Formats: sequence, structure tokens, C-alpha cells
Amino acid sequence: MSPDLQNPMVLWLILTAALAGLTYAFVRKELRVRVLAYGAFLIACGVAIWPPYEQDGRPGKIHLGLDLRGGIHLVLEVEVEDALNATVDDAVATTREQATRQGIEFGRVQRTDPTTFAVEGVEPARVKDMRDILRDQFGGTWQVQAAGEDGFKVQMTDIYQRQLRQQTVDEAMRTLQRRVNQLGVAEPVIARHGSTGDQILVQLPGVTDVEQAKRIIKTTAQLALRLVEDAAPSEETLLQSVGGKVPNDMEVLTGSGDSPGERTYYLVRREAMATGRDLKNARVGVDENNRPQINFTLNPTATDRFSRQTGRNIGRQLAIVLDGSVYSAPVIQSKLGADNRITGTFTTQEADELSKILKAGALPATLRYLQELTVGASLGRDSIRDGVRASVAAMAFIVIFMLVYYRLSGLNAVIALSANLLIVLAALAYSGATLTLPGIAGIILIVGVGVDTNVLVFERIREELRNGKTVRVAIQNGFDRVLTTIVDTHLTGLIAAAFLFQFGTGPIKGFAVTLVIGLVANVFASYFVSKLLFEWVLGKRHVEKLSI
Amino acid sequence: MEILKNPNFNFLGTARYVVIVSVILVAGGIYAVASGKVRYGVEFSEGTQLVLQFQTTPAVDRIRDAVAAVSPGAEIQTFGNLADNKVRVRLGPQDREAGGGGTDPESDLEAAARAALAALANDYADNAVIESSAEIVGPTVGAELREKAILLVSLGLIAQLIYIGVRFKGGVWGAGAALAALHDVVVAIGVLTFFGYEITLNVIAALLTLVGYSVNDTIVIFDRARENLRQRRKVPMTELLNDSINQTLTRTVITSGTTFLALMGLYVFGGEVLRGFSFALVVGTIVGTYSTMFVAIPLVGLWYARRNKPAAPAAKAAL
Repeated sequence: MSPDLQNPMVLWLILTAALAGLTYAFVRKELRVRVLAYGAFLIACGVAIWPPYEQDGRPGKIHLGLDLRGGIHLVLEVEVEDALNATVDDAVATTREQATRQGIEFGRVQRTDPTTFAVEGVEPARVKDMRDILRDQFGGTWQVQAAGEDGFKVQMTDIYQRQLRQQTVDEAMRTLQRRVNQLGVAEPVIARHGSTGDQILVQLPGVTDVEQAKRIIKTTAQLALRLVEDAAPSEETLLQSVGGKVPNDMEVLTGSGDSPGERTYYLVRREAMATGRDLKNARVGVDENNRPQINFTLNPTATDRFSRQTGRNIGRQLAIVLDGSVYSAPVIQSKLGADNRITGTFTTQEADELSKILKAGALPATLRYLQELTVGASLGRDSIRDGVRASVAAMAFIVIFMLVYYRLSGLNAVIALSANLLIVLAALAYSGATLTLPGIAGIILIVGVGVDTNVLVFERIREELRNGKTVRVAIQNGFDRVLTTIVDTHLTGLIAAAFLFQFGTGPIKGFAVTLVIGLVANVFASYFVSKLLFEWVLGKRHVEKLSI
Repeated sequence: MEILKNPNFNFLGTARYVVIVSVILVAGGIYAVASGKVRYGVEFSEGTQLVLQFQTTPAVDRIRDAVAAVSPGAEIQTFGNLADNKVRVRLGPQDREAGGGGTDPESDLEAAARAALAALANDYADNAVIESSAEIVGPTVGAELREKAILLVSLGLIAQLIYIGVRFKGGVWGAGAALAALHDVVVAIGVLTFFGYEITLNVIAALLTLVGYSVNDTIVIFDRARENLRQRRKVPMTELLNDSINQTLTRTVITSGTTFLALMGLYVFGGEVLRGFSFALVVGTIVGTYSTMFVAIPLVGLWYARRNKPAAPAAKAAL
């Protein structure tokens, strides 16, 4: 096969030309035109599936599904609340910053629920200024309401909320795409799933290191640099300093302590000085003791803010928090710049994975696993072997039966069945749909339907012959009479397949796809091709007996 | 070569006796569903299913002991041929929480699977797991899928009923075909449960296919009856329907026979993954063929016999 035929553009031209030829043949109805057009179409189908499976390093045209080649299938749910919380937290930070810059004194600004924050205790003389700030900053997308004499309640509008939810899922999908690309997976599927709109389907066919892949997908990678208020070896001692209760704008996080097995508790500010979103780059490096560490660079805007804030807090501890746990909490020695690092007890591989994940970006929200399916590669191979063996056995049996029972006309049926299979495989290869185990079963079923069509026609022809019709009339009547039956059975079949298709789940969808293609292909192969073969062989001669 | 020469069996006459078999089987199917004896696959019922391939022939008892220590109530079965060294482990949802110890049962879906694998590595170290496949389903997905499956099967049937009703210009034809198909699904579920098969996603696909197959079979004979109706207007409906079955009998025997044997091939050689699927289809071929001749057609015959006098000419049919 010349390499040109591997080109999708060339293939597309060939198939389009072949389809155009088919349409022409249906209009012209001349025997010679039909023979040429049908033949050209089937040859084009043959070209489309070549080479069917991987050969000499060239990938095969038939994409095998997860169940046949191994891999991972995950359904994840995006915890959209996370993203809403983060947005409100950002708004809280902006409000504080703006108010401080304009010298407005206020009691508290804090998030009250995932979509709302409250401003309290604004100095009476400047309530109006505060309202202006809030209106300016959050005008279009938030609702600002006065709450009491000296406070405000700021809530996201419903439209903005919906938009955020949508954006969050989109961003999660983009992040997953970037991460999966770093895994080097061929033909990954990352798609929206389910009816609620917050589920994502991830399929990674052919992945061998299942554990690594899951780690890379699962890690939220929310990086945050947050100021430490206090640290202690236990939660009780930590809380003594603040009167036993965690203040609203702080939270308690843990990290590994100085010696192995020991944990340190940190009281940290909720607000972050910098987050993963501010990262420009991340890569693996080594520290002064030759242990792996992660170097990261902040983008210019974040660097400004970060420098200012660290400059104000020299001598205090800065917690490096990744997904809710403190990796390290170095003391701020001086004003910090763009380049920083995360140290901790990583292996080189862990550091490498982590830097890749950080670079690919954090997920905007935590992902929850709803469903997981992993298939080992050799288990997949066993399935192929079994499926193919069963198909071959079924086909061989049907071929022998048709040849014995219908003799030469049986050969006609065998050709029609082969054409049917060829078209189904070509359509799979051409559309890039994957062949799954239920897909193979669907093909076997199509063979059954194909046999039914042939048997219907042949039995009818026999009946006509018994009633004393000539060969030519018998064939014509046989095909004509059976057409309505074929239309009815195939249409009901398509109705069933349409409902199967709604499942939207991998294996059954594969089954439905092959069923739909197969039913359409069967009408062409078992009816039109088969009829043409009869007409072609009979030619213009006078025939007394038909081998049927 | 011919299998049957001019068959002339009295199908409609014997239908009233044969239908007893249907009644028993349908009752069995309904009982299986109503009494909760039907076993659902992991994708419908939440939980974890592992397929493990061991280095050498696995000792199921020892695996059961090892896994039961971490998740009581686990089901362990050999999977496929003994020579494949494969074992299927099914862990229920409650086991997962016990293994994970987490507050949110969905936060760590894999906990149970990990615990089971760790237990095996510990207590059954002399025969290592060389490859594993896992299917883990959270509670939300399982319930959603089950509802969707029932909804789609019902909608699929109704859509086909409407199509046939329109094509044959008479609701009784559509109802006959749909009732026969429903009969097949119920019987198939009963038989599957009786033989210990689970209702998995693949089996649902098989059940929907069997609906299509059953309807297909019915339509072929209906079509013949419609054709006969146009030509032989003087013949009573019952006789005409019976003739239609006989005229298409050779085709029915050949198509059902080849499909049945092809599916048997799938059942025997298709491997463990396709076992339930192909079994459902094998049962479906038999029941689907039977229900056309003994449920769908007699129902139509009965309808016309009741509406008119028993020997009324078929010309009065709504065609």
C-alpha cells in the first residue's frame, strides 16, 4: 500500500468519489454502471481499512477499545463548590486590599457560603465609599446589598454562578488534557459525561502504568503559599494561643515534622500570597544536600504582590501548601522574588511527576471518582483472542451451511456477507469509532441479520420457482416481495439501536454504533449487491435452472 | 436441499396449550424480579469487581480467606478457563467503607480494591498477582444507570410498538409484537437468574438486541400475513395467520437455527467476558422465535376472532 493511501485527505476523496458513484448507479440502474460503482465502492472500503491492525510499526486502522487493548476508563465528578469558594475567596482578598488602599477601616470581610461574602463593621463615615468600591469591583456579576448599618452582603448572580460552573468543568477538562498529554497516551478521550453537566469521562487506552496515570489525574495540585500564624506539634497546643477556637480567616493544616513519623500542626491564613494559578513554570531541581526539589517561577504580576507581602512579613513562616497539606514552612529571610522552590521528602520520580502536574496547571476543583474501570493489557488480549475465535467459528459455520443448502446461490450470500463486513469495518476505521468487545458481538449479530435477509430472498425465489415461474421472473419477484419485510425489520432494528445509543456509555455505545452501520450496510450488501450478482451472472442468456 | 416440504402445522390451534409454558416462564421471570433474586452486575449495584490473573493456578479457598479478612462478604470465583489462572473478586459497597475508613464513601473508591490486593500480597504471597483489572462503581452512577436502562428498554419497546401499529394500520399488530417482545425479556431475565447470571450492562445490550430480534421475527410473519390478506380475502383470519406461519417456516427454521448456532459459538468460545451476553442472546433466539408463533400471532388471531364471528372473512381486518 503506498503511503499516500494513508493520508486521511486522500482517503476522504476516494470514499467520497465511491459514494458519488454509488448514487449515480442508483439513478442510472444500468447493469454495467452498477457493477462498476459497487465494485469501486467495496474496493474503496478495502483501502480504508488497510492495514487493519498494527503492522511494521504502522498503527492499524481499526481502533481497538479499552476492553480489547487494556487501559483506564474513569468517570469523574468536578466538585464545582470548590471553584465557587475559591472565587469568593479571591473577591474577599480584593475587597480587603481595595479598602485598605483607600484607608477605609472595617471589621471583617469573610465568606459566608460558597456564593456569598459579608463585609462587617465598616466605619460609619465611609460606608458610602465602601459601597462604591464593591459596586465598582463586583458590579455586573455580583449583587451588593446593604446588611445593617455598617455592613454589606455580596452574592454572585445566578447567571454568573452557572457560568462559573461551566467554566470550572471546562477548565478541569483542559487541565486533564494537558496532563494526559504529558503521559504520552495515544487517542485519549476526555469528554463531558452524564446529564448533570459536572461529570467528565476520561479514557486512556493502552496505558500500562495504571497507578502513575491515576496519580497524575487525581492530584488536584492546588498550590498555595500562605502565611503561618503559629505552629505546634499537636492541635491542642496550637489552639491554646488563640483561645481554643480557630479564627474565621485561618485554618489548621498539617505537614510532616522535623523527624520522620512526627507531624506538625500549622495555623495558617486562609488567604494565599500566591497560588498555582500564578505559576509561570515548574521543574525538578536538587537542593544543597542533593535531594530532589521543585523549582517554580511566578509570573510578573504575582511576583510584585508576593514581593510586597513577603517584604512586610520578614521573620515569619511561610507555608507551602499543596492540596491541603503543608510541604514545608520556611522562615521568610528577605523579600522574595519570582524564583522559589518546594522542598520536602520526595523521590526523584515524585518530584518529576509533581512538577509536571504543577506545570500543567491545577485543577480548578477537586475531582471525585464516580466510576473506574481498568483493564490489564494481557486480559484485553485474551478478550480479542476469544472474540475473534468465536467470530471465525460462527462465520465458518454460516459459510458452510449457506454453500451446502443453497449451492451456487449460497456463494452469492457469502459474497454479500463479506461485503457487509467490509463496509462495517471501513465505517469503523473511517469514523475513528472504536471496536469494543460488544462491538464484535454486534458484528456477529449483523451477520445473523445478513443471513436472515439472504434466506428470506432465497426462500421466496424457491417458492416462486415452485409455482412455475421462470428463473428471471422468480428472482425479480423474490427481491420485490421481500423488500417491504426488509425495510420493516431493519427500521425496527434501527429504532432499537437508537435507544442503545442514548446510553452514552462506552461498551453499549460501541455495540449500537456497529449495529446501526451494520443494518444500513446489510440492506446494501444483502439486497442490492446480491440482486446485482444474480442479474450479472444470468446476463442476457436464457436460463432454465437456477442453482439454489 | 430442503428442510421442510410444504409444512402445514396447526400453530394457532395448539397455541392455547403451549401458552401454559409461557405463563409458567413469565411467572418465574416476574417472581425473580419481584423477589429480588435478580443479581445485578457491579455497574448497576455499586461496588468493586476485580479480575486478577495469578502466576499459577490460584487456590480459591486461600484467596477467599485472605480477602475475607479485609472485606467480609466478598465473592470469589474462578474466571474463565482454569488454565487462565484468573479469579474474579467482587467486593460490596460496605466493604469499601470498611477498607477506606473514610467519612465520605466516594472520596476513595479504590480503598477496598487496594486493601484486598494488599491482603493477597501478604497472605497469599507464594502466588503473585501478575495482572489485574478493576471495575469500581460509586453509588450515584450505579443507580443512575439502572434507571436509565429500564427507561430505555421501555421507550425502545413503545417506539417499536408505535412503528408496527402505524405500518400495519392496526394497534393489535403492534401490541402483539410488543407483548411478545416483553414476554421474551421477562422470560430471559428469569432464565438468566435461574442459571446464576448477573444482569450487567452487556446483558442489557443483549436484552435490547433480543427485543429487536423478536420484533424482527414477528414482522416477517406479519408481513406475509398482510400480503396474504390482499390476495385471499375470503379466508378466515385464523387460517390465514396459520398459513403465514407455515409459509415462512423454512425461513424461520434456517434463520433462527443459524443465528442460534452462531451465538452458541460465541457462548462457548467467546470467553468469560461475553458469557452472560451470549447466554442472554442464545435464550433470546429460542424464546423470540417461539413467542412469534405462539404469542404474537395467536394474540392477533384471538383479537379478530373475538371482534367478529370465529369464521369471519379476513377482509374485514383493518387493512
